[in-house]
Parts: sequence; C-alpha cells; structure tokens
Amino acid sequence: MRARKFQELNLSEARKTKMNNKTAFLAVFGILALLLAPNVLALGISPGRTTVDFTPGLERTVSFSIVNSENKDMNIVVAAQGELKDYITINDKSFSMSSEEGSRQVTYTIRLPKELSPGLHTAEIVVLQLPEEGKLSEAYIGAALAVVTQLHVNVPYPGKYAEASLNVIGPESDGKISFVMPVLSRGEFDLVNVRATIDIYTSLNKKVATLNTNEVSIPSRKRKEIVAVWDSSKAPPGPYRAVATLLYDEKSLTLEKDFEVGEKRLKIEKIEVNDFSLGDIAKFEMLVENTWSEAVRGVYSEMNIYNKDKKLMAEFKSPTYDIDPLSKTLMVSFWDTAGVKEGTYDSTVYLRYGGKSEKEDLKIEVRENEINVIGLGYAISERRAPRGENNGLVTILVIAIVILVMINLLWFLFLRRKIKSR
Amino acid sequence: MKHKHVFAIDIVLIAGTLLVLAGLIGYSRPLVIAPLPGFVTADTSVLFEFEKAGLILIDDNPDFTSPDRIYAEDNLVINLKPGVYYWKVQGIAGTESEIRELTILSEVNLKLKQVSEGMYEVVNAGNVELDVEVYDDKEIVGNIVLGIDESKEVSGTKFIGSQKD
Repeated sequence: MRARKFQELNLSEARKTKMNNKTAFLAVFGILALLLAPNVLALGISPGRTTVDFTPGLERTVSFSIVNSENKDMNIVVAAQGELKDYITINDKSFSMSSEEGSRQVTYTIRLPKELSPGLHTAEIVVLQLPEEGKLSEAYIGAALAVVTQLHVNVPYPGKYAEASLNVIGPESDGKISFVMPVLSRGEFDLVNVRATIDIYTSLNKKVATLNTNEVSIPSRKRKEIVAVWDSSKAPPGPYRAVATLLYDEKSLTLEKDFEVGEKRLKIEKIEVNDFSLGDIAKFEMLVENTWSEAVRGVYSEMNIYNKDKKLMAEFKSPTYDIDPLSKTLMVSFWDTAGVKEGTYDSTVYLRYGGKSEKEDLKIEVRENEINVIGLGYAISERRAPRGENNGLVTILVIAIVILVMINLLWFLFLRRKIKSR
Repeated sequence: MKHKHVFAIDIVLIAGTLLVLAGLIGYSRPLVIAPLPGFVTADTSVLFEFEKAGLILIDDNPDFTSPDRIYAEDNLVINLKPGVYYWKVQGIAGTESEIRELTILSEVNLKLKQVSEGMYEVVNAGNVELDVEVYDDKEIVGNIVLGIDESKEVSGTKFIGSQKD
C-alpha cells in the first residue's frame, strides 16, 4: 500500500509542474519501479499438513503461518473445506498483510465429534490471496492464488491394526543392504509382538535368501522400525525382489519391493590394435565385460580422437552387439589413419546402450607400425580424509591414561613397598 | 595403624585416579551445540554444530534403527526433507552425545508469474511436492503436480496449491 501512495503523491506533484529535482527523480524512480516490477504473486503456508490422533470430543487449537514471500500488500481470506469442515472454526477469517509483514501466525480450532469411522478423515484450510484490483501499470495480476494447510485426523481401527512400508537401503560399500520396515500401530490396542521375514528373489524368481527382522512391541498410535540386513557382496549384480511378511500378533501383512544389487554396467577390459601400418585402416578390438546378471542389448562403442589443439580429428563407431549376462564380447571398430601423424592423442571412448553410456578417457599412442591404448585398468580408490581433531583428542587421552597408570604402578609396586619396609 | 599414612595415600591415589578418569571420559564425550533440542524450522538446510566427533547419525526414529551416517570433522549444513528427526554425534571409541530432536516443517509455497494474457508460470517455491488445482472462473479445468522448484506454464484464473499425498 505504501508504494502506491508514494506513486500517487508524485504523480499529483508532476501535474502541478512544480517539482524540484529531488521529487522529479523520485517520481521517475517510482514509475519505473512499478513498470519494471515483475508480474508475480506468491503465497506460502507452513506447515502444509497437521496430523491429529482422534479422541472423542477432542478440542484443539492449531496454528499455522502464512508467508508473504514477495513482501507485497495483500488481502487474505481463510476458509475451511472438506469432510471435517463443520468441526473447524477459523479464528481470523479475513485480514490484510502489509508488505513489511513477512509472515503471520493464524489459528483455527477443531472440535471433533464423539464418534468418527475408523481411518483417515481430512479437512483443508484454504488461504486465498485476493486478486489485486485497480492497480495502475501492467504489474497487475488478475488471477487468484491460494495455498492449503491440510488437517489429517487418524481414527484408530478396532482391535489391532498395523500399517507398514518396506524400504531398501544400500548396498553399502561392504555390500550390506538394509531392509527397513516402519510399522505404525493404527489400532485401538498395542501390538505386542511385531516381526517380519523377508525373502529375496532373483529376476528368475529363485529364492536366494531369507532374513528375519528384530522383534518389537508397538503401543497404539506409535511408530517403530524393524530391520533386517543382507550381505549382498557375493550376490551377482542384477535386479532382485524382496517379499516381506509382517507378522503382528495373530495377523500378517505382505509387502514387496524391487531393488538392484550392483550397477548395470559394461566395463572395457582391453583395447587392442593388431597388424597396423600408419596410413592404413586400424582395426580396434575392444573387449567388453557385462557385469550385470541380465543381457545388455544394442551396445555400440563410439571413439573420439582429439588432436594437440584438443579438436576432434576422428570419430568412429562399432556395429551394435548383444552381450550376455556376466560375459565378455569383442567389439570391433575401424579408424582410417590416412594423414595421421605419429604421436600421442587424447581419446574418449563411449559405450552406449539403452539411453545410457559409459565413458573412458584414454590416450592413443600412434607409431609407424603400432597403436597402443594407454589408460585402461587404473582404479581410483576412495580415501577418507585424515581425522586430525580426533587424533589430537586420542593422543591427549592416551598420554593422560599412561601417566595415570605410571603413577599408580610407581606407587603400588615401588614407593608403597619402600615406605612400608622402613 | 603403623602405616596409616600409606593407606591415606592409597585412598587419595585411587580417588584421584577415578576422578581424573571420570574427567577424561567427560572431556572426550562428543558435544552437540546446534540445532538446539526441539528445534523447529521450515528451512530445509540445517547447520549441525558439534565438537569432538567425526560422525553424525540422523534418523526418523529415536531408536536409530536405520540412521543416515554422515562423516564430518567440522560443522556441517545438511539438507533434510520435512519431518521429525533425531540426531546425535559419535566420537572416539564410539562414545555418543545426547540425542536431540529436530523438526522440519513442510511449507507449501506457490508463486505465479504472468507470462501473457491469462497465461501463468506456476512455480513450486516450497519444500514439498505440490498438487495444484487450476480453475477457470469457478470451474476446475486441470490439476498439475509440481516437484520442489519445478515450474509449469498454465492458463487459468485461480490456482490452489496443497501438499501432495
């Protein structure tokens, strides 16, 4: 609102043609600012959802924040809608926020009935920013913007009732995969004994492992996790399926999740060029390994060779190949070396398949009668940074303990006896 | 009673040793500084400050059954999704700090930029995936889902954004 008043004031002064330099500058600045202002409306609300556990006749005041993200003057209307709207009273239904007000805390009161059917019941508190009206300039947006904070009321199911999901975490660097099952006790009664067995199947539906999770008890309306760990370091890379049977007291629940071990990966083992003469066509033989437990189809190689100025001087591709699971294939491509001089060239090899590609940076050493490919077979190992601060702490502790031990030994084994023997 | 002073030295030495050991254990125990216990924010980037530790453990349950392990020597900013988290740090020889709770509130934030007459770029400026209902006057004409920071161009006169299930 302040910006608009400011501009109106300066326009009236302009009409009077009695502006001094300062007001002229302000007027121009004001008009420019308004004309250049982006046509943006923005509105935020936090939290986006409030979850409440049902108790008969529950009465509670819930607060949320309305965020004036663009720092504009705005007129706000708040209303409830949805299944539970009749049980909601908005405490401040309409108000204005100034451009200086970054956020405002608003509350609503819920008064729930004595009975609701088991399960999830919802309502929405809609916060509407009214369209700007009668504004000068193009910085006017005729649309209305609204954001919603949801109210979720969970009514417990009769007896014992569990809801669960299955998350697969890993594999870690040591090949361990964690199967984590968050379990929610959604019933009226506590779950005394909750555990699960997890069967692991390959893509050919062959069972390769059965795991048991830990056992927990879960009070009504509480959430706990059960976990099982599988060492997949010896399992061939590929897709797997976990089937978890959750057993809680007398009931059960089955969950499934697909996951992968290792990476769908092709590896260039070796590149050789035999029987070569400079100026002729070089035959590149590339040995490629498929480390995946399923065949990879339509694979081709693309090799780029760069000159000393890093400019592309040659690009050649192989035909397409299908590579069987856990096997190696020789892929062939050809390079016409007419006009190529002896020397070492930078090169990039791509293995392309199904929208993916593997890249290797190499050096190609071209001689009169041979081509050597340099750069395959290097491994980059992960190295952990030295832990300086903790090493210092350990040193202090070790020194302190050694001094303590020495003082005690000195006293009990030497000085004490000496004094006693006097 | 002849060596009364010897026993006195024994007691002083043993008590002193125990006191120093207790002090060393206290000194070496990892210390968590920030966020404070029960910290609540809608900002998804959280600065973790601690001392004498090299590993941060963060989990969505206080039993730490499946924690995220983050190795860090110094204070570290971690991006978290909205939710309730429990965190602690681990120091030398597995000594652990106290457990603290941290809540990241979800924020639904919708931004409208006018592209042309009746056409808008709808931007999800919040920290959760959004379900946006698009109206033309009073009639609903579409529904779009926006990931965090995602935007789409849509025609309409009213836009209602809510947290996606």
